[in-house]
Amino acid sequence: MITRTTRLGLLAATLAIVASACSGAATPTPAAPSVAPSVAAPSVAPSAAPSVAASPSPAASTSAGAALKIGVVTDIGTLNDKGYNEYSYKGAQDAATTLGAATPPSIVPKDASEYKADIQQFVDQKFDVIVTVGFNLTSDTVAAAKANPTIHFVGVDQSPVCVDPTGAPDATFACKGDAKTLLPNYTSLYFAEDQAGYLAGIVAAYASKANIIGAIGGTTLCAPCVRYIQGYELGAKSVKPAIVVKSSYVTRDFSAAAFNDPAGGKIFADTFIKTNKVDVLFQVAGKTGNGVLEAACASKIYGIGVDVDQWTSLGAPANACVITSAEKHVESAVNQAITGIAAGNLAAGDVLFNAANDGIGASDFHDKASLFGPEVKTALDAALAAMKAGTLKTCPDTGCGVAK
Amino acid sequence: MRSAGPKPTVPVKGRPGLASRAWSVAAVPVVVIGLSVLLGAVIIVFSELLVPGHTFDIGLPVVAYSALVSGALGNPDAVVSTLVYSTPLIFGGLAVGFGFKAGLFNIGAQGQFLVGALGAVMAGVALAEVPAPIAIPLAALAGFVAGGIWGFIPGFLKAVSGAHEVVSTIMLNYVAVQLLAALVSGPLKVPRSPSPVTFDVGNAAFPVILGRNGHLGIALALLAAVFVWWLLYRTTWGFEVRAVGANPDAARYAGMRPKLITIATMTFSGALAGLAGTSVLLGVTHSMTSSFGTTVGFDSIAVALLARSNPLVIIPAALLFGGMRAGAGLMQIKAQIPVELVDVLQATILLFLVASPVLRRVLRVGRRHSGPTGVDTAATPAAGEAVAI
Repeated sequence: MITRTTRLGLLAATLAIVASACSGAATPTPAAPSVAPSVAAPSVAPSAAPSVAASPSPAASTSAGAALKIGVVTDIGTLNDKGYNEYSYKGAQDAATTLGAATPPSIVPKDASEYKADIQQFVDQKFDVIVTVGFNLTSDTVAAAKANPTIHFVGVDQSPVCVDPTGAPDATFACKGDAKTLLPNYTSLYFAEDQAGYLAGIVAAYASKANIIGAIGGTTLCAPCVRYIQGYELGAKSVKPAIVVKSSYVTRDFSAAAFNDPAGGKIFADTFIKTNKVDVLFQVAGKTGNGVLEAACASKIYGIGVDVDQWTSLGAPANACVITSAEKHVESAVNQAITGIAAGNLAAGDVLFNAANDGIGASDFHDKASLFGPEVKTALDAALAAMKAGTLKTCPDTGCGVAK
Repeated sequence: MRSAGPKPTVPVKGRPGLASRAWSVAAVPVVVIGLSVLLGAVIIVFSELLVPGHTFDIGLPVVAYSALVSGALGNPDAVVSTLVYSTPLIFGGLAVGFGFKAGLFNIGAQGQFLVGALGAVMAGVALAEVPAPIAIPLAALAGFVAGGIWGFIPGFLKAVSGAHEVVSTIMLNYVAVQLLAALVSGPLKVPRSPSPVTFDVGNAAFPVILGRNGHLGIALALLAAVFVWWLLYRTTWGFEVRAVGANPDAARYAGMRPKLITIATMTFSGALAGLAGTSVLLGVTHSMTSSFGTTVGFDSIAVALLARSNPLVIIPAALLFGGMRAGAGLMQIKAQIPVELVDVLQATILLFLVASPVLRRVLRVGRRHSGPTGVDTAATPAAGEAVAI
């Protein structure tokens, strides 16, 4: 006989499994805030020539582009996450299309213990280019690059590359080795979030009537989040030197509250708006930030999205008060990196994506275009031109990515 | 994938003897796995219709499954990889199965896994420079003890207040996740690292004993299975555990102390799950990122159910699930089938197992030979029954 307890227990077990499966990766995904660019063409980010390569890589690929076998190992989660994984993969797809190469397969790890094995799968299958997505894969990617000098590895957001003098990943982060020469087959793509934030700051300053604007970041430990907000402040002050910029971070660790808690983000933002009387609010907190935007819309103030064109990605009615988004173009960056490998001119080590190579931008105003006069577009274009020329400072002297 | 599961045998119905007995043991798992594979094939074929621009290929399930099998068993590296993925599942399956024997549903293997890994990484980092013969046992012991503590809590709560272990272990899973996130991004983080990651365990890492990456944990898992079998069926404590699982009141009447057994069982179960986390940390990752998480805790429940909690049968059951994990990568490359298919297979296996009484009737498999769990002591048939669904 099946006992009552057995039935109950089994039911509970099944429910627990379902519940856990639904919640997905239980651990926080710090990659979340750094989601990627939108498919919608950003109006104010003119595309630049793919000038990724500074110097020809010594291990430049010898294989012709069309024969290139490209593989992608994402971080935990799903491929279609509307973020990092998805846009990195799209970038690889775009590159494969451009080069006439086969559609790149992807492997989505089930947990962190799989990173190494999944990269090895592509190595065993003799792939030429292996893209790994997110900083959690950094040390496994670097180790694989050292072990397989004939294969190109592209890491998304794994900067700064840190190796010991033998070229192995340095667990102590003393970073005594020179990754560029030790690992000529490894490139990490990173982004000038401060430049994207700067553009968002310009828009915010023009939109603000109270001359108090705000920004909410996920966690102080997320350097890209801090860079976004640092640029935002400088950008706003370039338009209105006297404007007040209030910023705050949801947490100081990498817990779920930082990037995966929309409800918590809404509550946090409600208090933030009431306390600081801001009338424009920039979210840099992934899904938590979606709650921030919700709070902004509910309080009848303007919101600014992050990483992708959130007006498009959120859709109506959640985008009702979104005036623009600060974008980083992961898709374009991965595409440029792979085509660079095919052309034999992708630089090794850390490669920065900024205004100069279409790595960042600000989104279209969409239905808020009537809010802004021609002077806003002029200011954005001028800032972009200055960024490209390298004459615009978008980080404070206290250091990029270091929270106050 | 069948080859990784319990050996299928010729169905000889109605004829007594070894073949018949073997079939009565293997029938349900074999049919369940077969049905799941079939359902997976149907899902692959139907999902093809939903992908825009995809040319329909009726043979895709064959491509997918052959890639899955060759990724799990195709060459020596693949076999070792299957063993590596199976290792935490053996420990986890033993943890859950041991709880089942005492009538306890340890849904907290997930949390105990994480806390065990935390214990191992903390000890491992501290002992990274100490000679390996000292560092390895101490780090493994730390993981064992840490998991045990995480299992003790729900056991203790159940014994003193009757708090149901299903509820308390699930809650402790969340606590474990947050604890890990806080420690890895806080005190355990390498100070100069731009992202949350701990130091390497150095000398405390399990040595590779087999092929490219087959670590010491594999051998430990197999030994653990034998040890748990011995514990359950050849010791007094094992007998008491099974007696309490069969009927706590009768056990109390016979002079046993069910509350004490409950605490001890949950603690030991947690410690085994802690070893699962330890084996991954010391054997595979060697350090911990904030994304360190797992599905092992929940997959272990399926493993234990598939093996009907028999410690020795847990080995092939874990190999089946581990093989699916090992083959998933190649399946994604060759057939471009998302990894979620493996989840679908595991889930359908579990669902069909829950429905196994129906299957038994359909297959006309008697309950007399309800498997190796149902043979040796007075208490066993009932205890076996309690977990055999």
